[in-house]
Amino acid sequence: MNRIKKHISRVIVSFLILSTGVVHNASAQNVSVSAEMDSTVIFIGGQIDLKLQLSQPDNIDLSFPLLTDTITKNIEIVKAGQLDTLNRDNGRYLIEQSFRITSFDSGLHYIPPIVFEEVSQKLGKAIQTEPMALMVFNPFDEVDPQKGIVDIKQPMQAPFHLSELYKYLPWVLGIILLAGIVTFIILRYFGKEVPVKIFAKPAPVIPPHVKALEALDKIKQEKLWQHNRIKEYYSGVSDTLRHYIEERFEIRAMEQTTDEIMNSFKGIDFRDGKSIDNLRQILITSDLVKFAKHEPLPDENDLSMINAFFFVNQTKLEEIKSLEEEKEAMLNKENEVLNVSNSSEQ
Amino acid sequence: MEQSVDIKAINERIKEESSFVDLLTMEMNKVIVGQKHLVEGLLIGLLSDGHILLEGVPGLAKTLAINTLATIVDAKFSRIQFTPDLLPADLLGTMIYSQKKEEFIVKQGPIFTNFVLADEINRAPAKVQSALLEAMQERQVTIGETTYPLEEPFLVMATQNPIEQEGTYPLPEAQVDRFMLKLVLDYPKKDEEQMIIRHNLAKTFPKASTILKPEDIIRARQVVKDVYMDEKIEKYIVDITFATRYPEQYGLEKFKDMISYGASPRASISLSMASKAYAFIKRRGYVIPEDVRAICHDVLRHRIGLSYEAEANNITSEEIISEILNQVEVP
Repeated sequence: MNRIKKHISRVIVSFLILSTGVVHNASAQNVSVSAEMDSTVIFIGGQIDLKLQLSQPDNIDLSFPLLTDTITKNIEIVKAGQLDTLNRDNGRYLIEQSFRITSFDSGLHYIPPIVFEEVSQKLGKAIQTEPMALMVFNPFDEVDPQKGIVDIKQPMQAPFHLSELYKYLPWVLGIILLAGIVTFIILRYFGKEVPVKIFAKPAPVIPPHVKALEALDKIKQEKLWQHNRIKEYYSGVSDTLRHYIEERFEIRAMEQTTDEIMNSFKGIDFRDGKSIDNLRQILITSDLVKFAKHEPLPDENDLSMINAFFFVNQTKLEEIKSLEEEKEAMLNKENEVLNVSNSSEQ
Repeated sequence: MEQSVDIKAINERIKEESSFVDLLTMEMNKVIVGQKHLVEGLLIGLLSDGHILLEGVPGLAKTLAINTLATIVDAKFSRIQFTPDLLPADLLGTMIYSQKKEEFIVKQGPIFTNFVLADEINRAPAKVQSALLEAMQERQVTIGETTYPLEEPFLVMATQNPIEQEGTYPLPEAQVDRFMLKLVLDYPKKDEEQMIIRHNLAKTFPKASTILKPEDIIRARQVVKDVYMDEKIEKYIVDITFATRYPEQYGLEKFKDMISYGASPRASISLSMASKAYAFIKRRGYVIPEDVRAICHDVLRHRIGLSYEAEANNITSEEIISEILNQVEVP
C-alpha cells in the first residue's frame, strides 16, 4: 500500500511540474522554442516521442541542439528523427525534430532546459526550452534481498483439449477425400500399368565368394599380364579381393592400406595360416606393381591368381541350404542319372 | 622393363643416400627423449624444404630439438621470442648509420641463419608474422634496396601455445597455409619422463655430435624429389584434398556445413612432398598409400577451416581428416 501511495504522490508531483512544462516556449525577438512529450508517465522501458520546435525569422542563425544518445543520464534516445524545416510566407522558419526516448530507471527524471545556440549573437542571450519531467514506473515487484532471490518462473503449460483440433477436422477430411479420389483415378485408368511388387520374389543375393570367383575368372580370361597390362591385372586382382574382404568379413578394405587390412585380420581365426599368407603375398606384390613399377615374373603372376582363388575358396562361407532346396537338388541329381542311364540303354 | 630398372636404381640410391637418417635419428634420440613424432616431423620438413608449425605446451623440448638438429647438421641456429612489441626490423635486419664509414650499412637480423625457432609466433602482431612468413616463402629478404637470399637449408619451426590465448594475434589462414606441417606435441610417457629426469640430473647432459653438413641435406633434398610417386598415389592425394573441399561428393554429407573452407592446392603439393620425404625416411624409393596416410594429419590439420557449427558440435579438424581417410578409397 505504501508503495502505491508513493507512486501516486510521485505522479501528482510530476503532473504539477509538467502542467507548466508540456509545452514550453522561450521567446525573444520573435524567436520561440518548445519541447513537447507525448506523455509524461511511462512504464520502465516504454517509449515516447519528444518533439523540439524552433520558430525563427530567416535573418537569425540559430543552431539546433545536437542530441545523439541521451537526453540525461537516465533518459536515452532510441531513434532521432530528421530535421524538418518549413519555410513560412512571412519570412520565418519553423524547424522541427522528433526523438523517440526511453528510460530504464524508475522514478521521476528531470529534463533540463534544452539550449538552442545563436551563432549570429544578435539576440544577446541563449534560447532554451522550459525544463520538463518524466515519471518512469516500475510495474514489477522490487526484489527483497531478505526474502531471497528466486528463479524465473517457467512458462505456464496450457492444458490441451481435443476440441482444439476440431477446427482442422474439415481440412483433414478434405485431404483424405482428395487422396482417395486421386488413388481411385490412378487405379481406375492406370491400374494395369502400375506394377505391384509387394509379393514379387526378391532378387537372389549372390554370395561374396561367388562374385569374387567370377571376377577373378574374368580377369584370368582377359589375359591381361600376357598382354603387358600388368598394372591393370594386379589392380583387378587386389580390388576383387578387397571387395570380397569387405563383404565377407565386413572390413572396410577398400579404404584401407595393405598393412591396415592385414592388421584387421589379426583377430580372425582362419582354418589354416596359408590363406592369410597368400593374401599378404598378393597385396604386397600388387602394391609393388601399382606404386613401384615392379614387373613380376610370369610365374609370380600365375601364382598370385592361384593364391587369390585359394584365399577366396578357403575363407568362403559355406552355404546352408534349406530342406526344400536340398530335396530339389537331390531330385535333379537323380533325374540326371536316370536320363544318362536311359540314353545309354537306348 | 627400362622403367622397372629405373625404380630399382632409385631404390638403391635412396637406400644409400638415406643411410644418414638412422644416424641422425640416433643422435637426436641421445638428447631428446621420446617425441619421436617431433623428430620425424623435423626430418620431413628438413628433407622436403618445408616449414613446421608446432603446437604444444611449454617444456616439451621444442627448442632443444631444433638446437640439437642444428648441431647434428652443423648449421646455424637462432631463436626469436615473438613478443607484442617486436618489429619486422628486429627479425629481418635494418640499415644503420656507420659514423666511421659515413654511410648506411646493413645489419642483418636473426633470420639469416639455417634453422630458426620462432617461439610463440602468435604473440607478435601481424606485420611481424607476415614479414617472417614472406621470408619463408620467398627465401629472401629485402633491406633497403638490396635483396639478400637466405641461407640454405632454411627451416623455420614456429611454436604456438595452445593455452593462454589472450592478447595473442592468431595467424591468418593464408599464412598458416605456408607451413608444410603442423605438429601437435603431447606430454611424454611415464618412462620417458623418468629418463628425462635422469638426463637432466646427470653430471653431463648428453650432447649430439655433428655428423652432417648443410650440403648433405641439400643433396638429400634432390634425392627426395626423385622418389617415385605413381599416378595412382597422385589421384589418392587429390581425392583426399577434394574431400576436404567437397565432403558430400565422398559420402561425408555430415561435414558439408562443418567445413568453411577446405585444403588449398598448396596442401596437395605439401602432401606429395611430405609423402616422398616420409618414404625416403623409411628408405623406400617409391611412395605407397601408407606414406600419405602417415603424414596426412600433420599436413592438413591447419588447412581445414571449421565453421561455427563444427565448433558448436566439438568437431575438430583431426576428426574430419580421420573420417576422410576412412572414406576415400585407397588405390
